[in-house]
Amino acid sequence: MKLQHYLGGLEGLGPVSTETRVFVEPWETRIFGIHTAMMALSVQLPLPATPSAFNTIWTWADLRKGAESLNPFDYFKYRYYEKWLGGISGYFIERGYITAEELDALTDEYYQDPSKPLPVAGDAAIDDRVVQYLVEGDSPKRDVTVTVDFSVGDVVRIENVPSIEHTRLPGFLRNKTGTVETVYPGAYTYLCDTGPDGIGPTMAVYCIRFEPAELWPGNAEQNFSLYADLYARYVAAIDNATATKAA
Amino acid sequence: MSERFKYREDREAYSAARVRALEALLIKKGIITDRTVDTVLEFFETKMGPFNGAKIVARAWVDPAFRERLIADTPKAIAELDLPDGMAGAEGEHMRAVANAPGVHNLIICTLCSCYPWPVLGLPPYWYKDPTFRSRAAREPRAVLAEFGLPIAEDIEVKVWDSSAQIRWFVVPERPAGTEGLSESELETLVTPEAMMGVAVAKAA
Repeated sequence: MKLQHYLGGLEGLGPVSTETRVFVEPWETRIFGIHTAMMALSVQLPLPATPSAFNTIWTWADLRKGAESLNPFDYFKYRYYEKWLGGISGYFIERGYITAEELDALTDEYYQDPSKPLPVAGDAAIDDRVVQYLVEGDSPKRDVTVTVDFSVGDVVRIENVPSIEHTRLPGFLRNKTGTVETVYPGAYTYLCDTGPDGIGPTMAVYCIRFEPAELWPGNAEQNFSLYADLYARYVAAIDNATATKAA
Repeated sequence: MSERFKYREDREAYSAARVRALEALLIKKGIITDRTVDTVLEFFETKMGPFNGAKIVARAWVDPAFRERLIADTPKAIAELDLPDGMAGAEGEHMRAVANAPGVHNLIICTLCSCYPWPVLGLPPYWYKDPTFRSRAAREPRAVLAEFGLPIAEDIEVKVWDSSAQIRWFVVPERPAGTEGLSESELETLVTPEAMMGVAVAKAA
């Protein structure tokens, strides 16, 4: 069980941040740009081939898996882009694109001389693809016919699926009941296959309304509703609560 | 264990050097170019950003039929406007708008990560990414909104939308009173990312 999958409702955390800046240190912009380029150059996308040496998959799911695998104290300790820098550096090392030694050595050089320039190199086709990705996106929606078990207004029960590395089911909704608010048209894949957690294959997606008084018995604010978009894998019939839904 | 709660003293200088080293290595190895990161950042300064969301909201304020279409089919309504290419691009492939109204206040959250509608709002501010906000807004939105300086009366229903699948949400705030004489472009200046996520409301200047 990962705390990062169960954040919703966690108590005792103190005041929220009201920081409206996107980046609070100039260096953070650079890791954001690197991440976005990796998503755009990721090999599974149907975009034009480029001379880039990047030949593996990198999606939001990979970034999220890294953040979700952190020690939960570190998850709270480090700022958003500090976690990105750690996860993305680790990925390039693990996949053999760079070595930890050369990254450490070059870090020392830039630490001693922050004004040392970056290398000048690269084929413009790489940057064209990055822009094409941003403009076109990577829609997970598929116009295929899938089983849609529920309709607007149906009361449903949320499964407690075995999530290990990664999930899109918020922990605080597991085993709760809710009411279908929207059945989204079409069907959706996910960025990766989450194994026994069960998303990845094309399936319906619902928006489901939850009563905070059921989510947080005796401990909820009044006159409020919580809605969540949930993949069909996570949604089960109310009268069949213990049955295992076919994946 | 105490080490876990300490930061290195050169925390920012170290990260700055490390990210520069990483970028340099990626350029040297032919993964990205010397222009790639700047290309991404320029895209978010000029093409994808809250300036688009402000135009969408201002149009919804002056054109009630557009507002209805925006709620009914968000991408289709956005496509009516003269906005940059990419309004259904990265992190905006499937957007959905909800409208504040008398008696209803909407708040968008992402308890699992930081899903955010890039084409219309650009990148998420730090408050949205804060694990404390993401934890607390799911159980006590009124307490959280009060910390943002936005007390919500008890008779107003708060609707919290958790972005846990691939739909990206935003809020159409209510048009502030006293803005009847303003042009659409003047109205745009009253729309903030915070109002379009629900931790603020739009205010007359």
